[in-house]
Amino acid sequence: MGGQACILYGAAEFSRDLDLSINISTENLILLIKALKQLDAELIFVPDLDPEALNRGHACHFRCLAPEAKGLRIDLMARMRDCPDFEELWKNRTIVSLPEIGEIGLLSLPDLVQSKKTQREKDWPMIRRLIETDIIQSQDHASEKQILFWLKECRTSSLLIDLARKYAEQCKALMIQRPLLSFAQKGDIATLEDLLHLEEETEKEKDRQYWEPLKKELEKWRRGK
Amino acid sequence: MRSPIITNSHHLTEEEEWARMTPVERYIESGRLWSVYLSLGGSLDPEPDSQSPFDFPELERAVSPHGGTGVHIIRRGGI
Repeated sequence: MGGQACILYGAAEFSRDLDLSINISTENLILLIKALKQLDAELIFVPDLDPEALNRGHACHFRCLAPEAKGLRIDLMARMRDCPDFEELWKNRTIVSLPEIGEIGLLSLPDLVQSKKTQREKDWPMIRRLIETDIIQSQDHASEKQILFWLKECRTSSLLIDLARKYAEQCKALMIQRPLLSFAQKGDIATLEDLLHLEEETEKEKDRQYWEPLKKELEKWRRGK
Repeated sequence: MRSPIITNSHHLTEEEEWARMTPVERYIESGRLWSVYLSLGGSLDPEPDSQSPFDFPELERAVSPHGGTGVHIIRRGGI
């Protein structure tokens, strides 16, 4: 997940860390601890690697000290706001085979996009680029699922207008779910941009509310150290 | 035949070029950028981000990839 996944999907991001979505079963945590030990990874912040905290949406932060990964930050999460649970994420994953590493599982593009809907300004241009890139890569052979995904998630006004015209039937079917599509179909770019902005602000606010109790908990743990 | 949605007017050439690479090509290219970045002394710590829920100074303390100082360890062996 995170920046490394964005790179593999084709959005141009320079990522300095490694964010992993993890399964918090006992068996998997044993394997994870073994891997972290191999990397000489040290916990650098609260909370501990605690399945309960991870299950509530917290992240665990590590820094590797092993020479081959010295300084690398690894952040682990098991649950992201409005994303499916791990089993579903795993089922949806995209598998990429990388040289000298082998197969790795990436969050599916729709799951990655959802995980990027945060309160941070910098995540939103990334969502836009991820979808633009997916359109570039697949526009000549798009599946019905992809077309619906683009119409539901595209954040580039000019592209949305093109999509709404090209896929008018699918667009009409999604208008209740995403009312701004009606302005895309009319080609009303000014209203469309206002509504895209509103959509973004609404998600940012949801994310702030989601994190409020978690941040209080973090602060409490932090003061307890 | 349907007309293409994306044209150059939507994208900068460089971005489009990056988008058209395979994941493996992007992975290799990104690895090269990492090497250059680290050789220039770039930090692996996240940039300060006041909008992040993890905006705590403990997580921003820099450590040089060449082994510099400044890491504030909350706990050793606390995995």
